[in-house]
Amino acid sequence: MSTTNPQSDAQPDGGSPRVRWSRRPADGTPAAAARARRRSKHRRRVVNVAGLMAALVLTGALYSALSPAYATNEGSGSESAAEAAGRELYERSCISCHGENLEGVPTRGPSLVGVGEAAVYFQVHTGRMPLVRQEADAPDKPAVFSDEEIDQLMAYVQANGGGPTLPSGDLRDGDLAQGGELFRLNCASCHNFVGQGGALSSGKAAPSLEGSSALEIYTAMLTGPENMPVFGDNQLTPDEKRAIINYVQTIDNQADPGGAGVGRMGPVAEGLVIWVVGIGVLLFGIFWMGSKA
Amino acid sequence: MARTATAPGVPTTLLGKAALEVDDRLIVAGPLRRTLNKVFPDHWSFLLGEIALYAFVVLLLSGTYLTFFFDASMREVVYEGSYAPLRGVEMSAAYDSALQLSFDVRGGLFMRQIHHWAALLFVAAIVVHLLRIFFTGAFRRPRESNWLIGVVMLVLALLMGVTGYSLPDDLLSGTGLRIISAILLSVPVIGTWAHWAVFNGDFVGENIIGRFYIVHVLLIPAILLALIAVHLLVLVKQKHTQFPGPGRTEHNVVGNRLFPAFAGKATGLFFIVFGVCAALGGLVQINPVWLWGPYNPAQVSSASQPDWYIGFLDGSTRIFPAWDINLPGDYTIPALFWPTVVVAGAMFTVLALYPMIERKLTGDTASHHLLQRPRDVPVRTSLGVMALTFYVWLMIAGGNDVIADKFDISLNAMTWVGRIGVIILPPIAYVLTYRMCLGLQQHDREVLEHGIETGVIRRLPHGEFIEVHQPLGEVDAHGHGQLAYGGAPVPKKMNQVGGARRAIRGFFSPIEEPAQVELEQRREEHGPAAAESSRELTTSGRPQEGGRPQEPRD
Amino acid sequence: MTTRETRPGSTGGADVPGPLHGGPDDDYTPEQLAAISREDLDRLGAAYDGVQILHVDPGPEPGSAVERRAVRQVGLTFALAGLAAFAFIVIYVGSGWFLPDWHWEITEGGWSALFTPMLGALMGLSLVLVGVGLVLYTKKLLPHETAVQDKHDGSHFDRVTTGATLVGGLHNSGLARRKLITRSLVFMGGGLGLMLIMPLGGLIRNPNTGDPLGTTNWGPGVRLVRDDGTPIRPGDQQPGSLETVFPAVPGGNRQADAATMLIRLRPEQVAVNRPREGQDDFGYGDYVAYSKICTHAGCPVSLYEQETSRILCPCHQSQFDVTQGAKPVFGPATRALPELPITVDDEGYFVARDDYPEAVGPTYWNRERI
Repeated sequence: MSTTNPQSDAQPDGGSPRVRWSRRPADGTPAAAARARRRSKHRRRVVNVAGLMAALVLTGALYSALSPAYATNEGSGSESAAEAAGRELYERSCISCHGENLEGVPTRGPSLVGVGEAAVYFQVHTGRMPLVRQEADAPDKPAVFSDEEIDQLMAYVQANGGGPTLPSGDLRDGDLAQGGELFRLNCASCHNFVGQGGALSSGKAAPSLEGSSALEIYTAMLTGPENMPVFGDNQLTPDEKRAIINYVQTIDNQADPGGAGVGRMGPVAEGLVIWVVGIGVLLFGIFWMGSKA
Repeated sequence: MARTATAPGVPTTLLGKAALEVDDRLIVAGPLRRTLNKVFPDHWSFLLGEIALYAFVVLLLSGTYLTFFFDASMREVVYEGSYAPLRGVEMSAAYDSALQLSFDVRGGLFMRQIHHWAALLFVAAIVVHLLRIFFTGAFRRPRESNWLIGVVMLVLALLMGVTGYSLPDDLLSGTGLRIISAILLSVPVIGTWAHWAVFNGDFVGENIIGRFYIVHVLLIPAILLALIAVHLLVLVKQKHTQFPGPGRTEHNVVGNRLFPAFAGKATGLFFIVFGVCAALGGLVQINPVWLWGPYNPAQVSSASQPDWYIGFLDGSTRIFPAWDINLPGDYTIPALFWPTVVVAGAMFTVLALYPMIERKLTGDTASHHLLQRPRDVPVRTSLGVMALTFYVWLMIAGGNDVIADKFDISLNAMTWVGRIGVIILPPIAYVLTYRMCLGLQQHDREVLEHGIETGVIRRLPHGEFIEVHQPLGEVDAHGHGQLAYGGAPVPKKMNQVGGARRAIRGFFSPIEEPAQVELEQRREEHGPAAAESSRELTTSGRPQEGGRPQEPRD
Repeated sequence: MTTRETRPGSTGGADVPGPLHGGPDDDYTPEQLAAISREDLDRLGAAYDGVQILHVDPGPEPGSAVERRAVRQVGLTFALAGLAAFAFIVIYVGSGWFLPDWHWEITEGGWSALFTPMLGALMGLSLVLVGVGLVLYTKKLLPHETAVQDKHDGSHFDRVTTGATLVGGLHNSGLARRKLITRSLVFMGGGLGLMLIMPLGGLIRNPNTGDPLGTTNWGPGVRLVRDDGTPIRPGDQQPGSLETVFPAVPGGNRQADAATMLIRLRPEQVAVNRPREGQDDFGYGDYVAYSKICTHAGCPVSLYEQETSRILCPCHQSQFDVTQGAKPVFGPATRALPELPITVDDEGYFVARDDYPEAVGPTYWNRERI
């Protein structure tokens, strides 16, 4: 291995044998990875059960708290200040499509019960929500709300609907090569090899991942916004999500060693270059050769 | 042998003596003189084929270099090279060696990129060259055989490209390989057998990269080299075509001798082509396989496209409707068969047979060495533009997902645009081109008959306004030109017949003193030529046709 | 030619050429040729090759300002080309020695990322300048001559004499009369030709042995596992999710036809789900499993839109509706994606109940028959 290992800053492997992300471990024998996964799954299941219980209790409590308060919105003393502010924002900007109690409005907007603060963070932070008009898909644009307001909205929706919460820690803390394999298997089909994005059916599109923040990518995987499938934590573990984010952002930021990347679009851009630049320059050249001195 | 240095014809210089020794053994002086004296017509469009030839030379050079490092094996290895995002990933030895070549061989990435750019240029130059041959009628008797060889070489170049870009075994080319496999399977009756023969079993097997490799580096290059040799020999034997012009006939070639003028320019063009490939190879990244990842049959990326020259087949496949044909006995002709095998087969068959078809339709079986201007053969030109529109439209359809994504258009709409366009655009192109050709023809005849429009408006004494025309030659009593159209460009502007000030010479910047040129011009204007031209301008060229009553002049 | 040898077969140049030797050498003796100027010799030779030099526009006057300028231009171009070539060598050799290392690091955008572009720019510049210099030289410093070469049609004399030789040889061979030889030749030629291409038969293999196109590694009780080999429980996926799964057999995740999409439908999708006829029980709860291999050209589909229930193939834009048995709703595909019958085993992991009921992947001629 070369002395300058660019991976070392992304993935410290202090002498421990690196996990090989081969595509063969399905060979009947459960690999070490599988065992590790099962172990962590055990832990997760306990956490999940606890979370489910907590959610149930919370929902019950909320229901009893909220249903009488349905007519008179004020006076629910259990609400924190952030939730109250979030409610105000919600009733101003979201209620017409998502309903008074996050239940959604048919043909206008989906229910927000169970989407969690992660979904709110992704949708509002990328500017997809609030929606300007109903289209094939919601385009990302500059966020309408400030970070503080987004926090308030998140608190409100989390408190009233429940669902996935924001992750914490270093979201790029994952194995680069493993992230690449997972990205190509799960994400590249829509978002392209290099996260360029791509067209979907009937005017919809998978957005480009260029310049997306780690938290945006994480919450998108966790919640499956719009047409994107959901990648829950039992499907792609938090570690695997972090690996994918590490890969996406590494690829996004790395230089093109072979010259201008021409959008990293592959043959379409290359074909344009050879016809416009290659053939163009040479035609100019032979015109010049043919002209009289 | 005579011993005196003064004996006539005996070389005295060292070089001369060496040449004599060589000729004594090989007797090359005669053939060499004939070669050096060979006359090549001078026109920029005759250099297009040379671009393809030189791109091929660049391909041979760079490709040979690549073979020193490439390992065409599908053996599974674990990557341990210096590209961090793939380290530890299991991949085929072919992909691994492509990565090694890109990151661990000094200048390897540069050579890889030169090779790929030269390949794109090779096919592009062949296509441009083919268009020149087609639209000027250079394929007519006696050159049908060379046309046929050319079309075969184009097909081989496409195969060369396909087998070449499949070699790195990356996710993009692997997807292409998957489609090639499906196309083979789609052939009626023998499809599965053909697939088993090519892939040595079911997709993907362990042989296909190795087989493509030997086809790519040995079989097709050998055939191409032989065909290029025949192509050039036939060209030399038949002598080059030329555009009609003063002194040019069906029985001569007017131009420069091979040595030194033509050889100098041709060598210069070789270096320029090589230089353009090298500059692109270093400055513009092509096929970054490390970003695509190793091939895995379960993985895919959106916007997967083949290289541009296969794009038309991808496009035809994208817009073809879902029409399986179910035959009695539970046999099926898959929908995939039509837009790939049939469309490609039909296009290249028609292309190859076009000289014969045109000969049949026009009944013109004579030998032709003078080229035609596209406008003078409107049917052929229109057919050509129609075919070109069809081809380009398919190519655009091959990138419809990228267009849909970049320009925010519905993908389904793009598919329908492709379907409708491929039916209605070619006929529109035909009609438009036909009208344009007729219009241009008419204008040529008009200028020959009435002269060049000078832009000078005169008012006749009875109040009529006329534009003064400059005839190109002798005129008859009615002021009509006597020149017949000869198939050569007709001057349409006064400065093309010396009516304007002489252009200052120099390509980028003037190499003459403008003041000097002006003085020269003024001196010439006092000569007889100036008097002549001013007389013509004032006395003739009045449009008097159309049965208009002649006004008596005063 | 001289020789000191006198033995037979060693006559050297002393032999006398035959009466048909001649040619232009008979017309012009060495003495005559020696008296002709080089220009005229050039024209004489050209005339023999059917070339006439019509017009020569001499190059610039030696020593004139135009010539000096052109010489300067050409010289400068070649010098610059050499300079660029040497710069290329310095960068190629010097990187990693007295210049920064050329090995590219993904974290670095400096010298190593510029190494290839610099090589390309310098080599391109150098070669283009050589070309430009040569063209400039030809255009500005060489005399411009216009030559005309005659084009000869085929010679009647040549045709008749060649024909006579060919027909004469054929006639002497007597092949026209000796029918037995002709026929045996044809027979031999056919046999030989076939024999020589026979070894290609090694390429031919029967695609129908064991029906590899119609079967996959899936079978009763084969677990659905992820790419890394872990099995899946019904609780692992969220509604509206998709996971690519493989059969739990050795190398299952490398099989070209085994990749399967395990999709958990959302309640709204379950409500409108209409599986294909006879495949109502193929799913498990709100889970369905469809082949990931497109029935059109074999690309992996899986551009799954969970709101519209569509699966898009990125290669040719075929679209399949998951809630209608993955039948094609747009694009060139004609067949629905085959559905894998799934259930859950004793340990609570997903298993296949059987192989796919039909061939996965692209359609072929006799797909319906096997």
